[in-house]
Amino acid sequence: MTVVYSLKNAVKERLIDGVGFRLLVPEIQISAQENIALIGHSGCGKSTLLDMLALILRPDNCAEFNLHPVDGDSHDVGGLWQRDKQSKLSQIRKQHIGYVMQSGGLLPYLTVRENIELPRKLLKLPDDDSINSISRVLGIDRQLDKLPGLLSAGERQRAAFARALSHRPSILIADEPTSALDPVTAQKIMAVVMEVIRGLKITLITASHDWAHVYKMELRTLKQEAEAVDDGKVYQSRFTD
Amino acid sequence: MAQITNIVRLSYRDYSHEWRMSGCFVLALSSVLAPMMILFGLKFGIVSTMVNELVENPVNREIRPIGSGRYNDAWIDAYRNRADVEFIVPKTRALAATIQLKSETAKRILSTELMATAAGDPLLVGMASVPRDYNQVVLSQSAASKLNVESGDQIDGSLSRQFQGKRERVHLPLQVIDIAAATVTTRNVAYVNLDLLIASELFKDGREVSDLGWEGNSEDSMERVYPSFRLYARSIHDVEKLVADLEKEGARVKANVSEITTVKSIDQNLSIIYWIIACVGAIGFSFSLGASLWANVDRKRRELSVLRLVGFKSGRIVLFPVLQSCYTAVLGWLLAVLVYLAFEYLINFFLAPRLNLDRALCFLLTEHFLWALALTMVVAIFAALVGGVRAARIEPSDGLREL
Repeated sequence: MTVVYSLKNAVKERLIDGVGFRLLVPEIQISAQENIALIGHSGCGKSTLLDMLALILRPDNCAEFNLHPVDGDSHDVGGLWQRDKQSKLSQIRKQHIGYVMQSGGLLPYLTVRENIELPRKLLKLPDDDSINSISRVLGIDRQLDKLPGLLSAGERQRAAFARALSHRPSILIADEPTSALDPVTAQKIMAVVMEVIRGLKITLITASHDWAHVYKMELRTLKQEAEAVDDGKVYQSRFTD
Repeated sequence: MAQITNIVRLSYRDYSHEWRMSGCFVLALSSVLAPMMILFGLKFGIVSTMVNELVENPVNREIRPIGSGRYNDAWIDAYRNRADVEFIVPKTRALAATIQLKSETAKRILSTELMATAAGDPLLVGMASVPRDYNQVVLSQSAASKLNVESGDQIDGSLSRQFQGKRERVHLPLQVIDIAAATVTTRNVAYVNLDLLIASELFKDGREVSDLGWEGNSEDSMERVYPSFRLYARSIHDVEKLVADLEKEGARVKANVSEITTVKSIDQNLSIIYWIIACVGAIGFSFSLGASLWANVDRKRRELSVLRLVGFKSGRIVLFPVLQSCYTAVLGWLLAVLVYLAFEYLINFFLAPRLNLDRALCFLLTEHFLWALALTMVVAIFAALVGGVRAARIEPSDGLREL
């Protein structure tokens, strides 16, 4: 199976409320069509790692950071960040990655349909039935002409998934996509999403602090370990295979 | 190009979606700009007009010879050709420069002072024509009133002399081509072509005026010399130098130097005061507009991050707040212009008559409105660019975390 992500000694440091935080990824490899879950408590660096994988957060250091989408060329992401090739990173991101935020992140001034269409428009993809079909599968086909503000939280998350999948990316990154929903709705949405992902052969990387939920979805988990280093001044979090 | 089209569309959609907030920004902008425009309109209407009137008033620019001198045509022409001289015309001897005027509608004959005029005479500014031959005359308001005539009427002019022991009188038909404004002079004056003044002087001296068929001694071919002149400097700033030059040539002259100093001082002080107010106003306006637009860009940081996440390039993202600032600038300027125009009407309609002013108290030219728009756009674009570049430079991840 093709290795989609390959990271070695990736480091990201942040100062949160005066306390140092360091995310350390000694080595991870993610293969095509794998479904991965980052599990850990709040503040352990799940979102930081997801953002790095989504190419929207620059690692401070990395010995290796390669991305090889199944439908495209291989990219030395670490090198692109080093050379500050933001446009190239943006190009890779919009072509190969779909991203779902915790809060959905739909643009409030566009209708649900326009939100879902946006990634396709940017890639100049043809107007076909894909918007309607993905909306039907996710159960929001009746909400397409409404503004996001008129939708329920569950419907907004479904619309966010539809937007992330509308341009048929080979990688889907979802940052605690169901954390704001009740367990029943969350389970329903994830069941549908998993079905779509398997059908489209997409690599899923998600973050969650709900162990039971992840185990039910049969996702491969990345282990997280934390320790205080530098005389307790820095909280260091490690994600390993 | 597709990204730019999309950004234009999205920025407009967001702007209209948040119409309440956009409306507040437009109101905030116009509430700063409109008072500035009214202030400038008042400055331009009252101060500039008054100062210009003082500065350009011919009385303040007149240089008057004292006593009699000897000035020939070449001397007059030399001064006429100077850049700092607006108008010069010779004067004949005062005793020979009177004429008796009679109209059909007035009972009395009016003894009137003759004064030479020509095209460009600052005293007769705005008149359609000036006397071009012996038979045309512009009357002062006082003379016209006493003769009970209007522009276009015919009157009779007569000159008398004692010649070879006999009293002689000649008559000349004159057409009143215009009436001078009451502000020009309160005396009885007939503004005529220089030729008529010369003819009058020749007649009174007992010489013949062949053009008009007036008999007398034959005119010798001596060079004509004038005892005086009427001279106006181009502006009050030229008066001092002209006086010095004339005095250097031996001419004794008088000018309103102390009044000119006062007017120049008023002009300078008012200009300084205005520019202080205008600069403080413009700086305040720029900061106020800049701050509110910057705040708006900061508020939009999260949405801008989403746009970057879905694939918009950083450079294009900057366009988003810049375009929205442009919408605010244009709409705010339009509203400010409407507010200004309403106040301009109220001020000119209600206040100007109370102050007995016959001109607008507050007004702006089209170019002033366009300058206001340009200033607003520059400040708006600059503020949005600074905020937009800042927003585009932060990593999308940081913006998204705020969602």
